[in-house]
Amino acid sequence: MRPRTSGLSLQAAVALLAAAVLGWPLIFRGPYPQHIMILILLNALLGTAWNILGGFAGQISLGQAIFFGAGAYTSTLLAQHAEISPWIGLVAGALVAIVIAIAIGGPCFRLSGHYFAIATIALGEIAAIAVTNWDYAGGAVGLFLPVEGTGLAQMKFDDKRGYHYVICALLVLALAVTVWLRGARAGYYWRAIREDQAAARSAGVPATRYKLLAISISAALTAMAGTFYAQYVLFIDPPSVLPLSLSIQICLVAVLGGAGTLLGPLLGAAVLVPLSAATSVLLGGSGRSLDLVVYGALIMVIAVFEPSGLVGLWRRISATVSRN
Amino acid sequence: MILLAVASEIVIGAVYPLSGNLAKVGTDIKDAVELAAEIVNDDVDLPVPLGKGKGLPGVGGARVRVVFADHQSSPEKGLSEAERLITQEHVVALIGSYNSNVTATASQAAERLKIPFLNETSTSPLLTARGFKWFFRTTPTDDEFSDNFFKFLKTRKGVKRVALMYENTLFGSDVSRFEKRYAEKYGYEVVADVAYDAKSTNLTSEIQRLKSASPEVLLQTSYTSDAILSTKTMKDLDFRPQAILAMDAGHVASEFVPALGKDAEGIISREVWALGLGAKKPIVARVNDLFRKRTQASRGAPVDMDGTSARAFVGFLVLCEAINRAGSTEPEKIRAALEATNISAEALIMPWQGVKFDPKTHQNALGSGILVQIQDGKYVVVYPFELAQAEVRWPLAAWK
Repeated sequence: MRPRTSGLSLQAAVALLAAAVLGWPLIFRGPYPQHIMILILLNALLGTAWNILGGFAGQISLGQAIFFGAGAYTSTLLAQHAEISPWIGLVAGALVAIVIAIAIGGPCFRLSGHYFAIATIALGEIAAIAVTNWDYAGGAVGLFLPVEGTGLAQMKFDDKRGYHYVICALLVLALAVTVWLRGARAGYYWRAIREDQAAARSAGVPATRYKLLAISISAALTAMAGTFYAQYVLFIDPPSVLPLSLSIQICLVAVLGGAGTLLGPLLGAAVLVPLSAATSVLLGGSGRSLDLVVYGALIMVIAVFEPSGLVGLWRRISATVSRN
Repeated sequence: MILLAVASEIVIGAVYPLSGNLAKVGTDIKDAVELAAEIVNDDVDLPVPLGKGKGLPGVGGARVRVVFADHQSSPEKGLSEAERLITQEHVVALIGSYNSNVTATASQAAERLKIPFLNETSTSPLLTARGFKWFFRTTPTDDEFSDNFFKFLKTRKGVKRVALMYENTLFGSDVSRFEKRYAEKYGYEVVADVAYDAKSTNLTSEIQRLKSASPEVLLQTSYTSDAILSTKTMKDLDFRPQAILAMDAGHVASEFVPALGKDAEGIISREVWALGLGAKKPIVARVNDLFRKRTQASRGAPVDMDGTSARAFVGFLVLCEAINRAGSTEPEKIRAALEATNISAEALIMPWQGVKFDPKTHQNALGSGILVQIQDGKYVVVYPFELAQAEVRWPLAAWK
């Protein structure tokens, strides 16, 4: 009977967690804890999107900021120049990101192994420089969104609860897409490609087409996160939405949590974001950069002791608990 | 029982880049703000606002306490740290944030949560153009500084060709737009227009481009490490215009001259402040002595004040002076007091005519800049001529 109970308790734990996340802004009224939870959900969304491409299809991308920036800039420019609702901007941003993803994937998927990752780094830097010198998009100065005019239709809220539920909805969408594709043909093809692309090809898997599918879905979800960010912070410039550090952080969230698992990116975000916030609150005011040292050291500790990510650690702990 | 209602401690939030490649600037600012808080809290015989007497007499003698937060030069962190200080630490006002793009988002949080935000070191004109109700700025903007540059250039005969080099974020690119506008207005030809990434570790091709354009004067806008790197690269490539006019920031950071030694000689920078102002304003030297003592204690070696730390020092005192006049920690009263600020030139360590905020933009209407030149390892005031300590040395000596 043991497996059954543990299955039930897992379901119960997930339900409890979902309830806690949904109830969070009702329990914590201050903007700061609400902000931390929004950052966790945003990073979980970005990690989940990365995971489709990097975790399931095995194509390591270090250029996710391109898609994030595409989403942020598309919706903001549409809002500024044509007064188009950010919800339409959200979809438009996702479409733009898909076009960019296919343009990147077409040539770059010919590269194998680490070379694909290196190519995405280079493309990310090119995108940042291009936008910095693009006056229509605000160039280096960036784009301000007006603070007034709030409401669901404008995806802009006076308090953070609105943002909280929008990002929850986007994350649920990303998780649903992941669950669906994981069990569908695409999921099996991706795993085959990840394990051995040549073998997959010889077994009749149309590898390139399915890799393009993976990068497109990943890009679209990342772009939605970008639009959300722009609506949330109301100011975007290349260093905030197109930096290499963002691409690395996205990868870190998924890999640290456990690449190729559904819950990995969620766990990664739930650990990394509070860790970064706590170190900067406790040590950041000192002016000695101690917070970043501690943050980096903690990431190294996790990586060294549990290379398969926090999900691996979780499995080990629950295995030990159920054995006893 | 009435006494209990009066706050015995007033908490002010300060959001600055305390880590990353601007950590040094942030630490200077932190020491300056802490020094200003100490002067407010203790009985110090200085003719600055709130120097004499302990604490804020207008608020029942309350002491001020500063809570610092690190924004790591990230606009998103600036926003969240400002929110955290306001809602968790219950600060009555904010001061910050050096980087113009972080000031942009941090002040948005203050505007939304209705807390006064005093900006003393960000010079992007856009910030006050937003017309925020809770945002106040003491420092003059890049617009005014650029105008200063060209007014000075007009006094040099035979200069026609200028080149621009600037870091490519909000600060540098904004400055370059004004410089281009004023170059046209004052009749100069821009022969090179070079934007670069301040985090770059190699500026060879940028300097090469400048060299091949052979300008008479280079107008440069850089942060610290890139200012040092670009000067070294100019020496390596033997690029030497008649003069380099730098836009504050990196060229006046306290490690610029120590890092370059003789190679820093002759560079001219706009400034809001220089130690040399002490010749005309004895108060400058006295505040600097206190700053040196403070940095000696906190870092083991004395550091002189620079334009950034001086502005932070003054900005903090302006904020405290307003809170004192408000006689309350209520944000709306502090805001009204800031709007009514009128501090005279004598109470400042600045070359300004005083501090008085424009009723609409909340930009200090009495600010003005100076030009300093590095002469024998020291920043010497050379412009405006009535405040000057020495003649301008022109042109730059050839590289040795």
